[in-house]
Amino acid sequence: MAIRNGWLAGFSFLVAAWLSGCGSTTSVRVEDVRVTPVTAADIQRAVRTAGAKAVLVNMWATWCGPCREEFPGLVRVAHKYQGQGLKVMLVSADSDTDLAAVKRFLSEQGVDFPAYIKAEKDQPFIDGMDKRWTGALPATFLYDGAGKLRDFWEGTASFNVFEQKVVEVLGKQAKPTGGKS
Amino acid sequence: MKRNLFMAVLVSVALAGGAFALSIGDKAPSTNVKMKNVDGRELSIADVAGREGTLVIFSCNHCPFVKAWQGRIASLGNAAKGKGVGVIVINSNDPTSFPEDGFSEMQKRAEQLGFTFPYVVDATSDVARAYGATRTPEAFLFDKDGKLVYHGAIDDSKEADQVSKHYLQDAIDALVGGKEVATKETKFVGCGIKFRPKA
Repeated sequence: MAIRNGWLAGFSFLVAAWLSGCGSTTSVRVEDVRVTPVTAADIQRAVRTAGAKAVLVNMWATWCGPCREEFPGLVRVAHKYQGQGLKVMLVSADSDTDLAAVKRFLSEQGVDFPAYIKAEKDQPFIDGMDKRWTGALPATFLYDGAGKLRDFWEGTASFNVFEQKVVEVLGKQAKPTGGKS
Repeated sequence: MKRNLFMAVLVSVALAGGAFALSIGDKAPSTNVKMKNVDGRELSIADVAGREGTLVIFSCNHCPFVKAWQGRIASLGNAAKGKGVGVIVINSNDPTSFPEDGFSEMQKRAEQLGFTFPYVVDATSDVARAYGATRTPEAFLFDKDGKLVYHGAIDDSKEADQVSKHYLQDAIDALVGGKEVATKETKFVGCGIKFRPKA
Protein backbone atom coordinates (compact mmCIF):
# COMPACT_ATOMS: atom_id res chain seq x y z
CA MET A 1 0.00 0.00 0.00
CA ALA A 2 2.81 2.36 1.01
CA ILE A 3 4.59 1.53 -2.23
CA ARG A 4 1.38 2.22 -4.22
CA ASN A 5 0.88 5.58 -2.48
CA GLY A 6 4.49 6.48 -3.08
CA TRP A 7 4.16 5.60 -6.76
CA LEU A 8 1.00 7.71 -7.03
CA ALA A 9 2.68 10.66 -5.33
CA GLY A 10 5.65 10.36 -7.66
CA PHE A 11 3.37 10.13 -10.70
CA SER A 12 1.40 13.19 -9.57
CA PHE A 13 4.64 15.12 -9.14
CA LEU A 14 5.75 14.17 -12.64
CA VAL A 15 2.41 15.19 -14.15
CA ALA A 16 2.54 18.53 -12.32
CA ALA A 17 6.12 19.10 -13.49
CA TRP A 18 5.17 18.22 -17.07
CA LEU A 19 2.20 20.58 -17.01
CA SER A 20 4.40 23.32 -15.64
CA GLY A 21 6.93 22.68 -18.42
CA CYS A 22 4.14 22.94 -20.99
CA GLY A 23 3.48 26.47 -19.90
CA SER A 24 0.04 26.00 -18.37
CA THR A 25 -1.43 29.45 -17.88
CA THR A 26 -2.59 31.14 -14.72
CA SER A 27 -5.60 33.29 -15.43
CA VAL A 28 -5.51 36.97 -14.62
CA ARG A 29 -8.54 38.82 -13.23
CA VAL A 30 -10.43 40.53 -16.05
CA GLU A 31 -10.39 43.82 -14.14
CA ASP A 32 -6.58 43.65 -14.08
CA VAL A 33 -6.23 43.26 -17.85
CA ARG A 34 -5.02 46.48 -19.47
CA VAL A 35 -5.87 47.12 -23.13
CA THR A 36 -4.77 50.38 -24.76
CA PRO A 37 -6.07 51.62 -28.16
CA VAL A 38 -3.21 52.07 -30.65
CA THR A 39 -2.49 53.17 -34.20
CA ALA A 40 0.36 51.75 -36.28
CA ALA A 41 2.36 54.90 -35.51
CA ASP A 42 1.85 54.30 -31.78
CA ILE A 43 3.18 50.76 -32.16
CA GLN A 44 6.21 51.86 -34.16
CA ARG A 45 6.96 54.49 -31.52
CA ALA A 46 6.59 51.95 -28.73
CA VAL A 47 8.92 49.53 -30.55
CA ARG A 48 11.60 52.20 -30.93
CA THR A 49 11.38 53.33 -27.31
CA ALA A 50 10.84 49.96 -25.68
CA GLY A 51 14.35 49.73 -24.30
CA ALA A 52 14.20 46.00 -25.00
CA LYS A 53 16.58 43.71 -26.86
CA ALA A 54 13.70 42.35 -28.93
CA VAL A 55 10.08 43.34 -29.45
CA LEU A 56 7.52 40.87 -30.76
CA VAL A 57 4.26 42.38 -32.05
CA ASN A 58 1.42 39.94 -32.68
CA MET A 59 -1.82 40.88 -34.45
CA TRP A 60 -4.74 38.70 -33.43
CA ALA A 61 -8.50 38.74 -32.89
CA THR A 62 -10.92 36.86 -30.65
CA TRP A 63 -12.83 35.57 -33.70
CA CYS A 64 -9.66 34.26 -35.38
CA GLY A 65 -9.30 30.52 -34.69
CA PRO A 66 -5.64 30.23 -35.68
CA CYS A 67 -4.82 33.27 -33.53
CA ARG A 68 -6.43 31.64 -30.49
CA GLU A 69 -4.57 28.43 -31.29
CA GLU A 70 -1.12 30.01 -31.18
CA PHE A 71 -1.87 32.29 -28.23
CA PRO A 72 -0.68 30.00 -25.39
CA GLY A 73 2.72 29.68 -27.10
CA LEU A 74 2.96 33.45 -27.43
CA VAL A 75 2.11 34.09 -23.79
CA ARG A 76 4.56 31.41 -22.75
CA VAL A 77 7.41 32.92 -24.74
CA ALA A 78 6.52 36.37 -23.35
CA HIS A 79 6.72 35.13 -19.77
CA LYS A 80 9.83 33.07 -20.36
CA TYR A 81 11.91 35.81 -21.99
CA GLN A 82 10.60 38.99 -20.42
CA GLY A 83 13.50 38.91 -17.96
CA GLN A 84 15.99 38.53 -20.81
CA GLY A 85 15.02 41.62 -22.77
CA LEU A 86 11.91 40.57 -24.72
CA LYS A 87 8.84 42.78 -24.90
CA VAL A 88 5.67 41.27 -26.37
CA MET A 89 2.91 43.53 -27.70
CA LEU A 90 -0.37 41.70 -28.33
CA VAL A 91 -2.54 43.86 -30.59
CA SER A 92 -6.18 42.88 -31.05
CA ALA A 93 -7.82 43.68 -34.37
CA ASP A 94 -11.28 43.30 -32.83
CA SER A 95 -13.75 46.17 -32.94
CA ASP A 96 -13.76 48.41 -29.90
CA THR A 97 -17.30 47.16 -29.29
CA ASP A 98 -15.72 43.74 -28.56
CA LEU A 99 -13.40 45.07 -25.87
CA ALA A 100 -15.07 43.01 -23.13
CA ALA A 101 -14.49 39.79 -25.11
CA VAL A 102 -10.88 40.81 -25.75
CA LYS A 103 -10.26 41.37 -22.04
CA ARG A 104 -11.96 38.11 -21.14
CA PHE A 105 -9.77 36.16 -23.55
CA LEU A 106 -6.57 37.87 -22.38
CA SER A 107 -7.59 37.14 -18.80
CA GLU A 108 -8.11 33.44 -19.56
CA GLN A 109 -4.74 33.31 -21.30
CA GLY A 110 -2.93 34.81 -18.30
CA VAL A 111 -1.79 38.01 -20.02
CA ASP A 112 -0.47 40.04 -17.09
CA PHE A 113 1.38 42.61 -19.22
CA PRO A 114 -0.05 45.56 -21.23
CA ALA A 115 -2.05 44.63 -24.32
CA TYR A 116 -3.45 46.73 -27.15
CA ILE A 117 -6.39 47.10 -29.53
CA LYS A 118 -6.35 48.56 -33.05
CA ALA A 119 -7.82 52.07 -33.12
CA GLU A 120 -7.39 52.95 -36.77
CA LYS A 121 -8.94 51.96 -40.10
CA ASP A 122 -7.43 48.92 -41.78
CA GLN A 123 -5.57 50.49 -44.70
CA PRO A 124 -3.43 53.01 -42.76
CA PHE A 125 -2.95 50.49 -39.95
CA ILE A 126 -1.68 47.72 -42.24
CA ASP A 127 0.55 49.94 -44.34
CA GLY A 128 1.81 51.66 -41.20
CA MET A 129 3.06 48.32 -39.92
CA ASP A 130 4.59 46.93 -43.11
CA LYS A 131 3.67 47.15 -46.80
CA ARG A 132 4.09 43.39 -47.16
CA TRP A 133 1.39 42.60 -44.61
CA THR A 134 -1.77 41.66 -46.53
CA GLY A 135 -3.97 42.10 -43.45
CA ALA A 136 -4.35 38.36 -42.81
CA LEU A 137 -4.38 37.24 -39.18
CA PRO A 138 -2.47 36.19 -37.23
CA ALA A 139 0.52 38.28 -38.23
CA THR A 140 3.73 38.62 -36.26
CA PHE A 141 6.47 41.24 -36.45
CA LEU A 142 9.78 40.75 -34.66
CA TYR A 143 12.05 43.76 -34.10
CA ASP A 144 15.52 44.06 -32.63
CA GLY A 145 16.54 46.49 -29.89
CA ALA A 146 17.17 49.23 -32.45
CA GLY A 147 13.59 48.96 -33.71
CA LYS A 148 14.60 47.27 -36.98
CA LEU A 149 12.19 44.67 -38.34
CA ARG A 150 14.05 41.35 -38.25
CA ASP A 151 11.26 38.95 -39.15
CA PHE A 152 7.65 39.02 -40.26
CA TRP A 153 5.19 36.29 -41.05
CA GLU A 154 1.49 35.69 -41.55
CA GLY A 155 -0.06 32.53 -40.14
CA THR A 156 0.44 30.57 -36.96
CA ALA A 157 3.62 29.55 -35.21
CA SER A 158 4.29 27.12 -32.37
CA PHE A 159 5.99 27.96 -29.09
CA ASN A 160 9.20 26.40 -30.42
CA VAL A 161 9.15 28.63 -33.52
CA PHE A 162 8.46 31.77 -31.48
CA GLU A 163 11.26 30.81 -29.10
CA GLN A 164 13.77 30.07 -31.84
CA LYS A 165 13.11 33.37 -33.60
CA VAL A 166 13.15 35.39 -30.39
CA VAL A 167 16.39 33.80 -29.19
CA GLU A 168 17.97 34.58 -32.56
CA VAL A 169 17.24 38.27 -32.04
CA LEU A 170 18.01 38.33 -28.34
CA GLY A 171 21.41 36.85 -29.02
CA LYS A 172 23.42 34.12 -27.46
CA GLN A 173 22.83 35.26 -23.89
CA ALA A 174 19.22 34.07 -24.08
CA LYS A 175 18.61 30.60 -22.72
CA PRO A 176 16.20 28.43 -24.68
CA THR A 177 15.13 25.25 -22.98
CA GLY A 178 12.92 23.84 -25.70
CA GLY A 179 9.62 22.25 -24.82
CA LYS A 180 6.38 21.22 -26.39
CA SER A 181 4.82 23.54 -28.91
CA MET B 1 23.79 37.79 -43.64
CA LYS B 2 21.45 40.59 -44.68
CA ARG B 3 20.61 38.64 -47.82
CA ASN B 4 19.81 35.56 -45.77
CA LEU B 5 17.52 37.56 -43.52
CA PHE B 6 15.76 39.08 -46.51
CA MET B 7 15.27 35.64 -48.03
CA ALA B 8 13.95 34.31 -44.73
CA VAL B 9 11.38 37.10 -44.63
CA LEU B 10 10.38 36.43 -48.23
CA VAL B 11 10.00 32.72 -47.55
CA SER B 12 7.96 33.41 -44.43
CA VAL B 13 5.57 35.61 -46.38
CA ALA B 14 5.35 33.19 -49.31
CA LEU B 15 4.59 30.25 -47.04
CA ALA B 16 1.81 32.09 -45.28
CA GLY B 17 -0.43 32.54 -48.29
CA GLY B 18 -1.00 30.66 -51.47
CA ALA B 19 1.32 32.79 -53.56
CA PHE B 20 2.03 36.42 -54.29
CA ALA B 21 -1.06 38.42 -55.21
CA LEU B 22 -1.79 39.54 -58.75
CA SER B 23 -0.61 42.98 -59.74
CA ILE B 24 -2.76 45.65 -61.33
CA GLY B 25 -2.86 45.00 -65.08
CA ASP B 26 -2.33 41.24 -64.73
CA LYS B 27 -4.66 38.95 -66.63
CA ALA B 28 -7.22 36.94 -64.67
CA PRO B 29 -5.82 33.42 -64.11
CA SER B 30 -7.68 30.10 -63.84
CA THR B 31 -10.68 31.47 -65.70
CA ASN B 32 -11.65 28.10 -67.16
CA VAL B 33 -11.62 26.09 -63.94
CA LYS B 34 -15.10 24.68 -63.37
CA MET B 35 -16.44 25.11 -59.84
CA LYS B 36 -19.66 23.83 -58.32
CA ASN B 37 -22.24 26.55 -57.84
CA VAL B 38 -24.87 26.51 -55.08
CA ASP B 39 -27.48 25.67 -57.75
CA GLY B 40 -25.53 22.53 -58.69
CA ARG B 41 -24.16 23.81 -62.01
CA GLU B 42 -20.43 23.72 -62.80
CA LEU B 43 -19.31 27.26 -63.63
CA SER B 44 -16.02 28.93 -64.42
CA ILE B 45 -15.01 32.58 -64.08
CA ALA B 46 -15.08 32.80 -67.89
CA ASP B 47 -18.68 31.58 -67.86
CA VAL B 48 -19.83 34.57 -65.81
CA ALA B 49 -17.71 37.29 -67.46
CA GLY B 50 -19.72 40.43 -68.22
CA ARG B 51 -19.54 42.79 -71.18
CA GLU B 52 -17.88 45.46 -68.98
CA GLY B 53 -15.77 43.24 -66.78
CA THR B 54 -15.77 40.60 -64.07
CA LEU B 55 -15.82 40.80 -60.29
CA VAL B 56 -14.28 37.88 -58.37
CA ILE B 57 -14.68 37.83 -54.60
CA PHE B 58 -13.05 35.22 -52.38
CA SER B 59 -15.39 34.69 -49.47
CA CYS B 60 -16.79 32.05 -47.14
CA ASN B 61 -19.51 31.60 -44.53
CA HIS B 62 -17.88 31.44 -41.11
CA CYS B 63 -15.68 34.53 -41.07
CA PRO B 64 -16.99 37.38 -38.89
CA PHE B 65 -15.63 39.87 -41.43
CA VAL B 66 -17.58 38.18 -44.22
CA LYS B 67 -20.66 38.25 -42.01
CA ALA B 68 -20.15 41.96 -41.47
CA TRP B 69 -19.75 42.62 -45.20
CA GLN B 70 -22.04 39.97 -46.75
CA GLY B 71 -25.09 42.24 -47.00
CA ARG B 72 -23.01 44.83 -48.82
CA ILE B 73 -21.52 42.12 -51.07
CA ALA B 74 -25.03 40.94 -51.99
CA SER B 75 -26.36 44.37 -52.89
CA LEU B 76 -23.18 45.47 -54.64
CA GLY B 77 -22.91 42.18 -56.58
CA ASN B 78 -26.56 42.21 -57.62
CA ALA B 79 -26.24 45.82 -58.79
CA ALA B 80 -22.97 45.17 -60.64
CA LYS B 81 -24.63 42.45 -62.70
CA GLY B 82 -27.17 44.99 -63.87
CA LYS B 83 -24.33 47.21 -65.08
CA GLY B 84 -22.76 44.51 -67.24
CA VAL B 85 -20.17 43.31 -64.74
CA GLY B 86 -20.12 39.56 -64.26
CA VAL B 87 -19.93 38.51 -60.61
CA ILE B 88 -18.73 35.32 -58.95
CA VAL B 89 -18.13 34.66 -55.26
CA ILE B 90 -15.69 31.84 -54.54
CA ASN B 91 -15.34 29.84 -51.33
CA SER B 92 -11.82 28.36 -51.22
CA ASN B 93 -11.89 27.38 -47.56
CA ASP B 94 -11.38 23.81 -46.45
CA PRO B 95 -14.66 23.03 -44.63
CA THR B 96 -12.85 20.62 -42.32
CA SER B 97 -11.52 23.76 -40.61
CA PHE B 98 -14.99 25.27 -40.33
CA PRO B 99 -18.03 23.06 -41.14
CA GLU B 100 -20.01 26.30 -41.55
CA ASP B 101 -18.11 26.71 -44.84
CA GLY B 102 -19.58 23.47 -46.27
CA PHE B 103 -21.65 23.34 -49.46
CA SER B 104 -25.12 23.02 -47.89
CA GLU B 105 -24.39 26.01 -45.65
CA MET B 106 -23.28 27.97 -48.73
CA GLN B 107 -26.61 27.17 -50.40
CA LYS B 108 -28.50 28.46 -47.37
CA ARG B 109 -26.40 31.62 -47.16
CA ALA B 110 -26.81 32.45 -50.86
CA GLU B 111 -30.57 32.07 -50.55
CA GLN B 112 -30.81 34.09 -47.33
CA LEU B 113 -28.81 36.94 -48.83
CA GLY B 114 -30.56 36.85 -52.20
CA PHE B 115 -27.45 36.35 -54.33
CA THR B 116 -28.38 36.62 -58.01
CA PHE B 117 -24.80 35.66 -58.90
CA PRO B 118 -22.92 32.36 -58.47
CA TYR B 119 -21.41 31.31 -55.14
CA VAL B 120 -19.05 28.46 -55.98
CA VAL B 121 -16.69 25.99 -54.34
CA ASP B 122 -12.97 26.11 -55.15
CA ALA B 123 -12.58 22.42 -54.34
CA THR B 124 -8.76 22.41 -54.32
CA SER B 125 -8.21 26.02 -53.17
CA ASP B 126 -6.01 26.31 -56.27
CA VAL B 127 -8.03 29.16 -57.73
CA ALA B 128 -7.32 31.22 -54.59
CA ARG B 129 -3.66 30.25 -54.88
CA ALA B 130 -3.58 31.36 -58.53
CA TYR B 131 -4.95 34.77 -57.53
CA GLY B 132 -2.70 35.05 -54.49
CA ALA B 133 -5.81 35.62 -52.40
CA THR B 134 -5.13 35.35 -48.68
CA ARG B 135 -8.20 36.66 -46.88
CA THR B 136 -11.96 36.76 -46.97
CA PRO B 137 -13.68 38.79 -48.29
CA GLU B 138 -11.08 39.79 -50.90
CA ALA B 139 -12.18 41.39 -54.19
CA PHE B 140 -10.56 41.31 -57.65
CA LEU B 141 -12.16 43.43 -60.39
CA PHE B 142 -11.17 42.83 -64.03
CA ASP B 143 -11.97 44.90 -67.10
CA LYS B 144 -13.54 43.48 -70.27
CA ASP B 145 -10.07 42.39 -71.47
CA GLY B 146 -9.58 40.41 -68.29
CA LYS B 147 -6.99 42.78 -66.81
CA LEU B 148 -6.99 43.53 -63.09
CA VAL B 149 -8.14 47.08 -62.35
CA TYR B 150 -8.92 46.81 -58.62
CA HIS B 151 -7.84 44.49 -55.81
CA GLY B 152 -8.64 44.65 -52.13
CA ALA B 153 -11.39 45.55 -49.72
CA ILE B 154 -15.08 46.10 -50.32
CA ASP B 155 -14.88 49.43 -48.50
CA ASP B 156 -12.94 50.98 -45.65
CA SER B 157 -14.82 49.70 -42.61
CA LYS B 158 -16.23 46.46 -41.34
CA GLU B 159 -18.85 48.54 -39.55
CA ALA B 160 -21.39 49.63 -42.17
CA ASP B 161 -22.13 52.90 -40.35
CA GLN B 162 -18.45 53.89 -40.36
CA VAL B 163 -17.78 53.52 -44.08
CA SER B 164 -16.34 56.63 -45.68
CA LYS B 165 -14.66 55.14 -48.76
CA HIS B 166 -16.57 52.81 -51.07
CA TYR B 167 -13.53 51.35 -52.83
CA LEU B 168 -15.16 48.55 -54.80
CA GLN B 169 -18.30 50.48 -55.70
CA ASP B 170 -16.16 53.39 -56.96
CA ALA B 171 -13.99 51.00 -58.97
CA ILE B 172 -17.04 49.39 -60.59
CA ASP B 173 -18.51 52.81 -61.38
CA ALA B 174 -15.23 53.92 -62.95
CA LEU B 175 -14.94 50.69 -64.96
CA VAL B 176 -18.49 50.93 -66.27
CA GLY B 177 -18.10 54.65 -66.94
CA GLY B 178 -14.96 54.06 -69.00
CA LYS B 179 -12.75 55.92 -66.51
CA GLU B 180 -9.55 54.89 -64.81
CA VAL B 181 -10.02 53.41 -61.35
CA ALA B 182 -8.62 55.96 -58.89
CA THR B 183 -7.82 53.68 -55.94
CA LYS B 184 -6.51 50.46 -57.44
CA GLU B 185 -5.34 48.55 -54.38
CA THR B 186 -6.46 48.54 -50.77
CA LYS B 187 -5.74 46.43 -47.71
CA PHE B 188 -7.91 45.22 -44.89
CA VAL B 189 -7.83 42.89 -41.92
CA GLY B 190 -9.73 39.73 -42.75
CA CYS B 191 -9.88 36.03 -41.99
CA GLY B 192 -7.08 34.03 -43.57
CA ILE B 193 -8.23 31.60 -46.28
CA LYS B 194 -8.17 28.05 -44.90
CA PHE B 195 -6.35 26.43 -47.82
CA ARG B 196 -6.80 22.75 -48.55
CA PRO B 197 -3.53 20.82 -48.62
CA LYS B 198 -1.83 20.94 -52.01
CA ALA B 199 -2.49 17.84 -54.11
